[in-house]
Amino acid sequence: MVLAPLVVLVPILAATLLAAASPFAQRGAGLVAVAAALGAAVLTALVLGSSGERGVTWFSGWHPRGGAAIGIDFAPGRIGAGLALFVAVLAVVALIAASRLITVKSLAFDALVLIFVAAMLGFAYSGDLFNLFVFFELMSVTAYVLVGYEVGQRVSLEGSLTFAITNSVGSFLLLFGIGLLYGSSGALNLAQIGRALEHGPVDTAVVVAFALIASGLLVKAAVVPFHLWTADAYAVAPTPVCILLAGAFSELGLFGLFRIYWTAFHGVLGPDDDALRVVLVTAGCLTGVLGAVMCALQHHLKRMLAFATIAQVGLFLLGLALLTADGVAGAAVWVVGDGLVKAALFVIVAIVQHRYDRVTEGALHGRARGLWPLGLLFALGALTIASLPPTGSFLGRSLVEDAALKEPGYAWVPALMALVTALVAGTLLRAGARVFAGWGAPAGDDPLATDDDDETEDERGAPPRSRFILWALATVLLAAAVGWGVVPGLIEAAGRAAGEFTGTQAYAAAVLDGAHRAIAVPELKSPSATGYLYAAASVAGALAVAGAGLAGVGGRMPRGVIAARERLRGLHNGHPTDYVAWLAAGAAVLCGCLALVLQ
Amino acid sequence: MSGRARLAMVALAGVALAVVLVVAVIDLPRPDAPPPRSAKLSTSVALHERHVTNIVAGITFDLRGLDTLGEELILFAAAVGVSVLLRAQREDSTMQDAADAAEQRRAQVPASARALGAALAGPIIVFGAYIVAHGQLTPGGGFQGGVILAAALLLVYVAGQVLALPTDSPVDLVEVTEALAAAAYGLVAVGGLIFASAAMTNFVALGVTGHLLSGGTILILEVAVGIEVASALTLILAELLDQALLRST
Amino acid sequence: MSVLQITALIVVALAGTATVAMRDPVRQAVVAGIFGLSLSILFFIFGAPDVALSQIVVATVAVPLMVLLALAKLGDQGEDE
Repeated sequence: MVLAPLVVLVPILAATLLAAASPFAQRGAGLVAVAAALGAAVLTALVLGSSGERGVTWFSGWHPRGGAAIGIDFAPGRIGAGLALFVAVLAVVALIAASRLITVKSLAFDALVLIFVAAMLGFAYSGDLFNLFVFFELMSVTAYVLVGYEVGQRVSLEGSLTFAITNSVGSFLLLFGIGLLYGSSGALNLAQIGRALEHGPVDTAVVVAFALIASGLLVKAAVVPFHLWTADAYAVAPTPVCILLAGAFSELGLFGLFRIYWTAFHGVLGPDDDALRVVLVTAGCLTGVLGAVMCALQHHLKRMLAFATIAQVGLFLLGLALLTADGVAGAAVWVVGDGLVKAALFVIVAIVQHRYDRVTEGALHGRARGLWPLGLLFALGALTIASLPPTGSFLGRSLVEDAALKEPGYAWVPALMALVTALVAGTLLRAGARVFAGWGAPAGDDPLATDDDDETEDERGAPPRSRFILWALATVLLAAAVGWGVVPGLIEAAGRAAGEFTGTQAYAAAVLDGAHRAIAVPELKSPSATGYLYAAASVAGALAVAGAGLAGVGGRMPRGVIAARERLRGLHNGHPTDYVAWLAAGAAVLCGCLALVLQ
Repeated sequence: MSGRARLAMVALAGVALAVVLVVAVIDLPRPDAPPPRSAKLSTSVALHERHVTNIVAGITFDLRGLDTLGEELILFAAAVGVSVLLRAQREDSTMQDAADAAEQRRAQVPASARALGAALAGPIIVFGAYIVAHGQLTPGGGFQGGVILAAALLLVYVAGQVLALPTDSPVDLVEVTEALAAAAYGLVAVGGLIFASAAMTNFVALGVTGHLLSGGTILILEVAVGIEVASALTLILAELLDQALLRST
Repeated sequence: MSVLQITALIVVALAGTATVAMRDPVRQAVVAGIFGLSLSILFFIFGAPDVALSQIVVATVAVPLMVLLALAKLGDQGEDE
């Protein structure tokens, strides 16, 4: 298969050639970059189409000899190939949005976005542990620059610096884990690691390696307590970058963790997966609940969306942490639906931010009445997050619910997911009602969100170009998010892909022996009556939360609740040193928990 | 969080992580244990099938060439990022000031230091080029040689001189060179697809093991990476010095 | 493990600690350079001359220099304000 390497090489070549042209030419609308991203998207679609035979590509043609890998392989499988297609589509969306939103002249912006995209695509395809790390670093370095790109303001540099420091610490943890794993297995190829560890004991090196790799990747995925950098970075990042960060970057962190688990660790840790499930599900719950609560406390629209992303990542983690093919299938469907909605919401916020130069609920109160059709779209997006049937979010969530109900002892998961989505969606509805209709009491003070330092230089200086493309983009994205839930054959395809993703032995046979083995495909059902009930509960809960927020319930809480709320806010104070302290503590706790339950 | 609470938390977490790491490392195979199968295979493949005597170069530029492409792009992205971030903040007058300051500094640097800098610059450039070109034979290669080349330019600056290039804006020239050298790696990778069987596969003559012109594409990649690293570092340093590192004739 | 290897490990540990303990950023840049040099010796002793070579130039020249230049830039801006 020659296509998979081209998926990465095409955007890289386009990026380097754009950078070479940057002293002589200006960006214009960035159409070259859009074309390159489109090319990558077409290639990823072709790879997905031909990945039925478990396409494995060895760079430089170094096939494994006697079951030992000597080169690097791309072995995306259907989940990896599908995720790459989604990333490429989001990249096209982001670059189209950038053509209207980013007014910088330098071609360097386009070059950096394309390298960022190439790194994400490589991460989705790679079947080699160290190669995953290289793409992970490449994506991080470009993301640091892109977040701080609009350096007219001090805050955007601060957000970028916080992002860089915390994520670098995450990279160190990941690299330590990779070193330990190479030491104990003598291999870097994921399939080969899996085979080397499979028959060995569950020793400390393996457990600690897993804990450190998980910590490093969970920093990227923004799972509590590794999530603290997220809101600071999103609040200052240009909207096109936010689309990629919220829709793909965090999700790739989760994808990486479970790709590594199912290929390298499942063989040795599989017998203990009940214990592992408890730890990972707990992390997912914490992330979902904390993300939703923090989301409700925000008045800065981009921060609100950042915490919404964290909450949703927590729920995806819940699905994946069930460690079953059913959970993987549900999470995969949900990630795509949710990424489309999130992109639409970011575009809508950008349109409002452009027109009124403000991005907080309080300052925008009732000002966007003239944009009421946009308000309706925003409300539809919020309800989609509450998994309004028949959207893709609803389908994904009901699949995860079914997966949880199949596992004894996890019957409470659907209720928790309904609660989290209701809180997040209700908060977004509240903000939408205030901004687009002027309903309810104006928002209270939010010490962390002042308007004067939050507009960005480039966005403010934007010429009054036609916004038609942005409106169209938001509409198309929402339509796609709704339509995703009714794609015929999606459930079967997701089940097959998930069965392949979780088939450790079949993966190793395909990669190392070039052999084909049968996989167990989970039996997935269309959403049942229970699924519709939970969705109805979510939507009703979202409306109730929005109503309560508009009625100003937040200001009339008991004193103890308010004190706890302020303390929670205080944790997200923007100090990178505090964040690193939490990160170190989180990694230590994760190591400790896993060592306790796995030995 | 108060400073003390933070310190306590980090200390506790750090000690816990250190303990688990030490316990985990004790579990690993001893350093004198036989190397893993993949490591032995890589060594023999690099020597016999890629005709390189520096096995490390065989691994970094062929067996794991994709990693090296990624690492080169990390440096590329960092250099582009530094120049973008610094340029956005800089005013035009700053560059003129920096150029004037560099001019004044020339008078302050002792003649002996200037002479030493001038005398060393040539040999260091030759040494850097040697390290780049012999990566397939002896330790070294594009990364190492490229950094040495950039260091030579810096030595010239420290000695009170600046490099003069026959172009209006020398920094632009460095930028273009950097980007083209990064593109060259990608093109060699695509070349493998076109002229051979898979991306990054060697498609030129391998030469005789131990000779300067051996290793096929590895030598081409060493040179591309050498140019990329030298120009990326030059770009970063030039931007930090407000472009006063280079001058147009 | 030979005496040479153990000595190199101890020197690296000491230099690393010294880098962290140094509070003044300018001194820290210089000490970090020394730390980098000790690391390159360690790499050489443990049989990785390739890594040692890049370590010498990157960690003893390039990185301290970039830190110093960045500090000088910050100093300039401080005077402006």
